[in-house]
Amino acid sequence: MLTAVKNQIKVTFISVKYALMREMLNKTTFLMNVIFMILNNASFILQWVVIYSLKSDVGGYSFGQVLLLWGTAASTFGFAHFFFKKSFSLSDAITNGKLDSYLVQPKNVLISAITSDVEPSAIGDLIYGVIMLIVSGLTIPKVLLFILFTISGGITMTSFAVILASLSFWFGRADSVADTGNGMITHFATYPDGIFHGISKIILYTIIPAGIINYIPVSVMTTFDVRLTLLVLAITVGMTALAFLFFYRGLRRYSSSNLMIAKI
Amino acid sequence: MKKYLYIFRAEMMSALQYFSNLFSGFIGYFIIIFILLNLWNYIYDDPTELINGYTKTQMIWYVIITEILWKIFNGRKFCRQICNDVKGGNIAYNMNKPYSYIGYVLSSHLGEGLVKTVAYVAVGMILGKIFLGTFPSHSVSSLMIVFLSGLLAVIIDALCIIFISLISFYIEDAHPLYWLYSKMILILGTMFPVEFFPTALQGIIAMTPIYVICYGPAKLFVDFSMDSAIHIIIFQILYVLVAYALCLALYRKGVRKLNVNGG
Repeated sequence: MLTAVKNQIKVTFISVKYALMREMLNKTTFLMNVIFMILNNASFILQWVVIYSLKSDVGGYSFGQVLLLWGTAASTFGFAHFFFKKSFSLSDAITNGKLDSYLVQPKNVLISAITSDVEPSAIGDLIYGVIMLIVSGLTIPKVLLFILFTISGGITMTSFAVILASLSFWFGRADSVADTGNGMITHFATYPDGIFHGISKIILYTIIPAGIINYIPVSVMTTFDVRLTLLVLAITVGMTALAFLFFYRGLRRYSSSNLMIAKI
Repeated sequence: MKKYLYIFRAEMMSALQYFSNLFSGFIGYFIIIFILLNLWNYIYDDPTELINGYTKTQMIWYVIITEILWKIFNGRKFCRQICNDVKGGNIAYNMNKPYSYIGYVLSSHLGEGLVKTVAYVAVGMILGKIFLGTFPSHSVSSLMIVFLSGLLAVIIDALCIIFISLISFYIEDAHPLYWLYSKMILILGTMFPVEFFPTALQGIIAMTPIYVICYGPAKLFVDFSMDSAIHIIIFQILYVLVAYALCLALYRKGVRKLNVNGG
């Protein structure tokens, strides 16, 4: 069992490595994608400078905490889109019968399918996350928590995307549902949860896991709480299990479209 | 002109065929308005309070209008289409056609945009009524001027995106430049009126596309005056002429260095 997991991780890293090498063939475009994504994210700082010039705290967050919120959102987004890019277009692969080549591989179908490509601009998101961490104040525990929550948040985000995409096994074209759901997390995760009240706040910690990916991690990085940390990790494990369950239940309904594609 | 109207109509009919695709966009629009509603509810202690000359209701109407414009622009897809035409060589098929490539992409973009305009204006007005209960007071003529300003805003944005996309003639991928442009419009244009920025920055923003693309139509909708309407519309017409001339110059220069392989 342990050897199988080790092999799977090794294959995943090799797959990501070759996908990255492919993207780096044109170095100028690759670097532009990374640098402009950092600038793209940084432009939102201006939005918060204006908002904080109107009010000294927004939803109970200081300016530094909002930067950390943005940093965590960017790094989790970057982690998910770099390592598991294809999970965000999995619905298309399911609907158009593009999973055939993964089904014949002697490795996990879901992991092979979602790690077959990388998003170069996601490196910019990861770098931006680290920059925001530095700007908001660097301590060793905070760095360790940041790494932990980037991985857990990225995996939760990917799991959420896989669950939504797996709906395509039952309902046909579910790509717009998946896109809307994935977009929701990003939108909500970049605004302090203190501005939301009532049912919308409950939704952010349940149906749309922005609270698990972003709000709790920022709270823990500000004031450490072991119970909340364990809660985030437990939900990450639960979401991952749910994603595998949904995908493999759905896979039984999958039918090939006899699509001829070249995988380079 | 007739051929462009034909392209416009064909694209509009195509967009109507896929009208259901807009529904997921409505959800995204609702979410953004919902988030910004909560944000401004938090920032305004009192609904009658004035911040930089805007009441809470005006501020929320402002973002409802700018977000409608943002949805109509759909710049990412438009930029990708032109970049791919240049990179993939498809642009070569358009060069020997009896129309201008810029006119072709602009009229097809506006055809799709019209369907979106009708849909998003309806959704925006419904959301505004639900969340705020009131509409800004307008006469029929002032509403028509706001609509004209909105139309010019869409044309200017489309021309700006065409210009950015045509830079693909020189660099392989112009997408990163579009990201910066779109974020500039999103943050400096759709989120806040110009009055919310420091005085020194206001003068600079007033000279950029942000002023004519976002601020102009939204300001006229929330606080209409004939003086500002004349000022904004004249400025928008000037922008259309200059942006079109720049696109044409870049296109003519770019196609000369176009090298398409294969058949």
